[in-house]
Amino acid sequence: MSYYLGLTQLIGIHTLLGLSAYILMLTGQLSLGQAGFFAIGAYSAGILTVIFELPILPALLAGAFIAAFFAFFVGFPALRVKGLMLVVATIAFGEFVRLFFFNLSWRVPRGDIEVGPDSTNGFREIRYFVANGWSAWEITAFVWIFVILVMAVLWWTDRSRAGAVLRAVGEDELAAQSVGINLTAVKVAAMTAGGFIAGIGGALYAHTATYIDHLTFTVLLATFAISYPILGGLSSVFGTLVAVIFIQGVLVEGLRFLGDWRNIVFGLLIIAAMNLKPSGLFDPRTSQLLKRAVGLGGGE
Amino acid sequence: MLELRGLSKHFGGVKALDGLDLTVNEGDIFGLIGPNGSGKSTTINLICGVYGVTAGTVHFQGDLMNGKPPHQRLRAGIARTFQNIRLFPNLTVWQNLWVAQNSPRDVSAQGFMPRWFGATRRTREEIAGLLELADLGHKSDELASNLAFGEQRRLEFARAAAARPRLLLLDEPAAGMSRAEIDDLSLRIRRVRDSGVTILLVEHVMELVMGVTEQIVVLNFGHKIAFGTPGEVQRNKDVQAAYLGTSSSESQPLDGSV
Amino acid sequence: MSDFLLEFVEITQTIGDGLFFGTTYALIGIGFSLIFGAMRKLNMTYAAASLAGAYVGLAAFTFVNAPAPVVFLISAFASGLVGGVVYITCFRFIPINNHLAALMASIGALFFIDEIVVHTTDGSPLTFPAMFDDVMFELGPYGIRGDLLFVFAVCIAGTVGLLYVLYRSRLGLATRAVSQQDVAAQLCGIDVHRTNAVTFMLAGLLGGIAGAMTAASVGVLSPLITVPLTVKGLIVSVIGGLGSIPGAIVAGLLVGGLENVFLYFRGVNERDMYVLLLLFVFLVFRPNGIFGSAIERD
Repeated sequence: MSYYLGLTQLIGIHTLLGLSAYILMLTGQLSLGQAGFFAIGAYSAGILTVIFELPILPALLAGAFIAAFFAFFVGFPALRVKGLMLVVATIAFGEFVRLFFFNLSWRVPRGDIEVGPDSTNGFREIRYFVANGWSAWEITAFVWIFVILVMAVLWWTDRSRAGAVLRAVGEDELAAQSVGINLTAVKVAAMTAGGFIAGIGGALYAHTATYIDHLTFTVLLATFAISYPILGGLSSVFGTLVAVIFIQGVLVEGLRFLGDWRNIVFGLLIIAAMNLKPSGLFDPRTSQLLKRAVGLGGGE
Repeated sequence: MLELRGLSKHFGGVKALDGLDLTVNEGDIFGLIGPNGSGKSTTINLICGVYGVTAGTVHFQGDLMNGKPPHQRLRAGIARTFQNIRLFPNLTVWQNLWVAQNSPRDVSAQGFMPRWFGATRRTREEIAGLLELADLGHKSDELASNLAFGEQRRLEFARAAAARPRLLLLDEPAAGMSRAEIDDLSLRIRRVRDSGVTILLVEHVMELVMGVTEQIVVLNFGHKIAFGTPGEVQRNKDVQAAYLGTSSSESQPLDGSV
Repeated sequence: MSDFLLEFVEITQTIGDGLFFGTTYALIGIGFSLIFGAMRKLNMTYAAASLAGAYVGLAAFTFVNAPAPVVFLISAFASGLVGGVVYITCFRFIPINNHLAALMASIGALFFIDEIVVHTTDGSPLTFPAMFDDVMFELGPYGIRGDLLFVFAVCIAGTVGLLYVLYRSRLGLATRAVSQQDVAAQLCGIDVHRTNAVTFMLAGLLGGIAGAMTAASVGVLSPLITVPLTVKGLIVSVIGGLGSIPGAIVAGLLVGGLENVFLYFRGVNERDMYVLLLLFVFLVFRPNGIFGSAIERD
C-alpha cells in the first residue's frame, strides 16, 4: 500500500513540475530549466526544516518564494532570447543550479551528527515527516492539497482575462504589444509563477524523498517537465495531469520489470511519438502555440 | 497631433525611410501612399515603436515617443491594424477584444483583480458595442481563426478600437477586399473618425484612399515626393510617374531620390 | 624566478593547455552549427552521438586491442554512422517546420544513447588509448604536453578538412545551398534529404574525432560527460553565433582557455559554473554571439 501512496505522491509532485512548464508554454516560452527551480525549492525548504528547524508549511512557502525570486531574475535576460536560444539558455540555467548544489556544503552539528547539504554526498536526513510522525496517508493528502490548489488557481486564471492575455502573448507577441499588452511584465510574471509552482513541487519532493542530491535535478528531469504539457496539450491543466499519470503511473510502473532500463524506453517513446504524430499528440491549438514557441532560434 | 520630424530608418545599407517630415492634425483622415518598398509600413512601425528610429523624432500630442515600447504608445493613444491580419487565432472573438482593452482609463479605473481576473458589466457592454461595430455579434464565441477573411479584417479593426485610441493607424486595410467591402470599410472609417479618432491610412487601393482621405502624403524610396488633397496628388506629375501613372511613360524618374 | 613570475608562467601555461584542448570544443560547436545552419534545428543528440562513436572505438581497443590511430578512426566513422541514424530517426520524417518535435525527438535520442552507454559500462570510466602521452616539449619555462599537441593537431586537421569539403567540393556546395535556400536548392535538383543526411554524417565524423580526442587527452572515457559535453557544445555554438563556423572555432578556443583559468583559480568542481556564467554574459550583452549578425529586419 505504502508503495502506491509513494507513487501517488510522485504523480502529484510531477504534476506541479509539469504545470510550472505549462504556464510558461502558454506565453510561448519553452524552458528546459524547470529542474533548476525545482532544485532551488527542494534545497531551500530542506535547509529550512533541517537546519533552521522550521515547520513544513512556512518552509515550503519560503522555498516556493525563493524559487520564484530566482525565476523573476531569470525572466529578464530570458526576454532577450527566443525559441531555440531560450531552450539553450534555460538548459544552461538548470545546469548552473545543479552545479551550485553540487558544490554547496552547509553542515551544522545536530546532537552527535552533522546535518545539511554535503555537496557531492547529497543532502540526507530531510526527516520532517518522519520526525513528526506523519503517516503515509497524511503526507499524500498534504502533497495533493497543493496540487489541487495550484490546478484550481491555474484553471480559474485560464478563464479570466489574465489567462487570455497569457495566451495572446504566446500566439503573437507583436500583435499583443500592439494592443497594449506589456510583454515584459507578462513574460516575467509567467516565469515567476512557473518558478513558484516548481518551487512548491521541489519542496514537497525533498521532504517525501528525505534524500536529494544534484543528480536528481538534471536535464532529464527538465525534459520530463516539458514532456507532460506537450503530451497533455495546452488546452487545459488537466491534460498535464493526465500525461503525468500516463507517464509516471502507467508507463514507468508498467515497465517496472525492465528495472533500470526504463529510461531507454522513455527515450524511445519520445522519438516514436514525435515521428508518428509530430503535431497530432496535441490538439491543433496546442501544436500551433508550441510551434511558435520554438520557431526559429537567433537572438532577434 | 502626430508630428514626424526627419524620421529615418536604415536596415544595414538600405534606407527604408530617409528624413520624413509629416504632420497629422486632430480629426484628419490622412492618407499615406506609395509603391511597394517605399517606406509606408516602416513609417507605421516607427510610429508604433516596433522598430527603433535611425534618426528623427516622433511626437504624439506634444510628447516625445522615441524609445517608448509599443504598449506604452498604445496607452498614449496610438492603435494600429496590420497589413497581414494578426489576430490571436486561438482566442475567441470575444477574448480578442477583451485582451485589447488597455486604454489608460481601463488600466487606472479598475483595480488589479477585476482588471485581470474579472469582466465587469461595463467591460461587457463595451465589448458588445465593439462587436456591433464589427457586425460580429453572432460570432462572439467563435475562434478568430474560424472567421472568414472579411470578418477577420473587421475584428482586427474593432480590436484596435477597443483600446479607445486617439490615433488609429490602418495598414492596408482594404487589401484583398471586394468593391462592396471597400465601400463598407469607408463607412466604418468615417464612423470611427466622427467618434473623435484621427486616422492615418496606409493603402494601395486607390478607390479607398481617394474616396475617404482629406490629405495625402506620397512616399517613394523612403522620401516624401508629394503632399496635398487627393485631387492635387492625382494631378502631380512625380506621383503619376512613380505610382499612379502607368500611362505617363515619358515622365522622367524622380529627382533627388534613390 | 620571483613568485609573481612563477605564477605568471603557470597561468599562461594553463591557458595554453586550455587553448589546445579547446579545439575539441570547437569541433563540437562546429557540429552543432553545421546542423543548425543546414536545418535551423538543434540536434541535441550530437554530443552523445560523438561519445557513442568514441565508445565504439574503445570497444575495438578493449576487445581486439586495436592501436590508437585505428581506435580514433573507428570512433570518427562510428560517430558519423550514428549521426546518419540520428538524422533518420529524429529529423528525416518530422515535418521541416516542426522544430519542437525534432527538438524533443533528439532529446529522446540523447537519453537513449546515454542510458545504453551508462548500462553497458556500469557507469564507470574506462581507460582510453592516447598518443604521445609520454612526450613533453620544453619551451623555455613552458612545457607542451605531447598528447595535447596531438589533440590540437588532429582537431585542426579535422576543421581544415571540413572547410575543404564545404568550400571546395560539389557536396559542400550542395550543403551550403540547402542551408541558405532549401526550396531553391530543391528546384535546382539537389536532394535535400540526402544532403541533410550527409551534413549529419559529416558533423558526426567531426564529433567522433572530438569525442575520441576528449577521451584521449584525459586518458579515460566517462559516461558521465554526455550532458556536460552537450551543454558545452551548445555554449560554444551560441557564444560563437548559432550557425557560424568561424564563430564556433573562436568560441571553442575561448571556452577552452577560460575554462582552464577558472580551473586554476577555483578548482575543478566550480569550473563549469563559470563557463555557464560566461554564456549568460553573452546572452545578456551579445545574444547573437561573436559572429552573429545584428541586422534586425524581419
